[in-house]
Amino acid sequence: MFRNVRRGAIAFTAIAILATAGCGAGDDSAAPTGDGGDAALRIGVTVYDMSSFITQGQEGMQAYADANNIELLWNSAGNDVSTQATQVEQLINQDVDAIIIVPVQADSLGPQLEQAKAADIPVFAVNTTLSNAELITASVLPDDVAAGAQEMQMMVDAIGDTGNILILQGPLASSPELDRTEGINSVLAENPGITVLAMDTANWKRDEAVNKVKNWISSFGDQINGIVAENDDMGLGAVQALKEAGVSVPVVGIDGIQDGLAAVQSGDFIGSSLQHGRVEMAAGLAVAAKFARGEAVEKSYTYIMPPITPDNVDQYIANVVTEKDAFLQGIGDLINRNLASGDIANEE
Amino acid sequence: MSTSTTPDQRVDSPADDHTPEARRWNRARVEDLLIRNSMVLVLLLVIGYFSYESARFATAPNLRTILIASAPFALVALGQTVVILTGGIDLSVGSVIALSAMTGARMVVGHPDRLWLAIVAAVVVGMAAGLVNGLIVSRLNVAPFVATLGMLTAASGLAYVVGHGAPINGLPPEYGKIANTNIIGLPAPVLVMIIGFLVLAAVMKRTSFGLHVYAVGGNRIAAEVAGVNTRRTLTSVYVISGALAGLSGVILSSRVISGPPNLGQGYELDAIAAVVIGGASLLGGRGTVWGTLLGLLLIQTLNNGLDILVVPAYWQAVISGVLIVAAVAVDMWATRRTRT
Repeated sequence: MFRNVRRGAIAFTAIAILATAGCGAGDDSAAPTGDGGDAALRIGVTVYDMSSFITQGQEGMQAYADANNIELLWNSAGNDVSTQATQVEQLINQDVDAIIIVPVQADSLGPQLEQAKAADIPVFAVNTTLSNAELITASVLPDDVAAGAQEMQMMVDAIGDTGNILILQGPLASSPELDRTEGINSVLAENPGITVLAMDTANWKRDEAVNKVKNWISSFGDQINGIVAENDDMGLGAVQALKEAGVSVPVVGIDGIQDGLAAVQSGDFIGSSLQHGRVEMAAGLAVAAKFARGEAVEKSYTYIMPPITPDNVDQYIANVVTEKDAFLQGIGDLINRNLASGDIANEE
Repeated sequence: MSTSTTPDQRVDSPADDHTPEARRWNRARVEDLLIRNSMVLVLLLVIGYFSYESARFATAPNLRTILIASAPFALVALGQTVVILTGGIDLSVGSVIALSAMTGARMVVGHPDRLWLAIVAAVVVGMAAGLVNGLIVSRLNVAPFVATLGMLTAASGLAYVVGHGAPINGLPPEYGKIANTNIIGLPAPVLVMIIGFLVLAAVMKRTSFGLHVYAVGGNRIAAEVAGVNTRRTLTSVYVISGALAGLSGVILSSRVISGPPNLGQGYELDAIAAVVIGGASLLGGRGTVWGTLLGLLLIQTLNNGLDILVVPAYWQAVISGVLIVAAVAVDMWATRRTRT
């Protein structure tokens, strides 16, 4: 027993020495880009799963962290609420300076948020809200209602105020689906000449959307004037179904994934809306870091997805795909400017 | 329990068309045929109903739509049939689809000329997963449900590993050629499905391997005593199932030119449903490839027709669920009736 304690103490000393040495080396390399006097921060992150959006977001956050002397403790919950709860508890035990949660589910983590409050660790919700708003320091959330309205307006602009459309929804009753559908319906209410022939879910998936749309083409044939998809993957499935059936009508999506941007460029999509994980999640980290360093932050920030059109798609392809490394280099300054201006989706 | 079904299976299998009593037609025989083929009647009823409700249903382009949608499921269901005939089950196919599709996509990203390599790699990865399943089941005697459940989880993880944790985007348009090419007037996936059914039907009916599969499913110990290498037979069926899942994966991902790591999620249950609706027993030893074809066509026709009538997805799920149980209940009733 005694020997174990002694061995532990020696090990602890050794680790402390190594850690100090490590910090020293880190400071040297971080000095040119870092904000000089800022104290080092340790910020814990737990994300719902490693989707494309989150993978981008991780790049953006890491780039921001490297430029601002922040150490990220990264966790992925594999779409499981209880795994995420455990991860939040572990981050509290590690006494991090802030916790960023990209929730698996909005209505969850109540007890863990209480624990964080008791331990005096600020919590930030990014991308999806958490229902206990009073326990969250600040949130950075996309406006999915606006994105739904924006894509429906693009469709109205393309086909005019009369016509028949198909709508592909996200997983029914999930919060982005509900919000995007609400946005679509708000524009439909202003355009009574547009008839919805069919509206159903393809669960965000390309392979599911292609079969659904093929079946709808069998059913409605040339009555279809346009297809509104609540994300790019389903829109790309619709494009494939149209190609197989030898028809061509306007298709619109949301998210601005790589293949979706390419579809806007080639004319397969009339447009999309960009939800750029690097920018949105780096903004979340920036808000958390500012608060942890004693600066004032707003209670909520809204990421309003920029419209992607054939006119501006080249710039977004550069930012998201072809020149993303250069984009990441400048992301620290971009995010700080965006937080000052309030337009956190800006990429210029 | 499975022992008692073995003699029935011999009578059930289509091979009985060649025995003298099959040629005798009388009322009992006709009644018997109707009950045996209750699923054909159900399928005809469903087709009749949709044709009556919508003039758009019974058209050549829509038939093509149904067949293209069926192909990836068909391959998985075929593999599942052979596994279920041995009294096993392959829960891993959904994830094996994802892993194979991601492997295929990884091969062609930046290399549009590697189409054949993508197909071969996808099938080989599927076979490898199947081989692991098969060896665990046949050598370690782990229950197939458990062994393939483990593979379901592990292969899903590996699919994410291949994609570095995300879908593979930016695949070359050439990748779409695999599933979107027409051969002798038929889309390639449909042709592959037809060949798959013909080959497997012939194998199950005409080869000793087919006999061994039925024998192992009927009674493994008896088959062993009769000189069947049951270990090899068991391993082979999982390899077949894995290879077909691999092929299905590359077809699915090529059709929409994307590599999502969650592709094929839940396909294992659709495949099992098709096999069971087709009259196979989950205890093994009883069932046919043609039964699976019927079950598959029933599910796919229903999916298509309900979409054409714009029935909401949640009602479609309710209808499919009821149908699966009803089909098996009818089948159990028919089997009991023919035995007494």
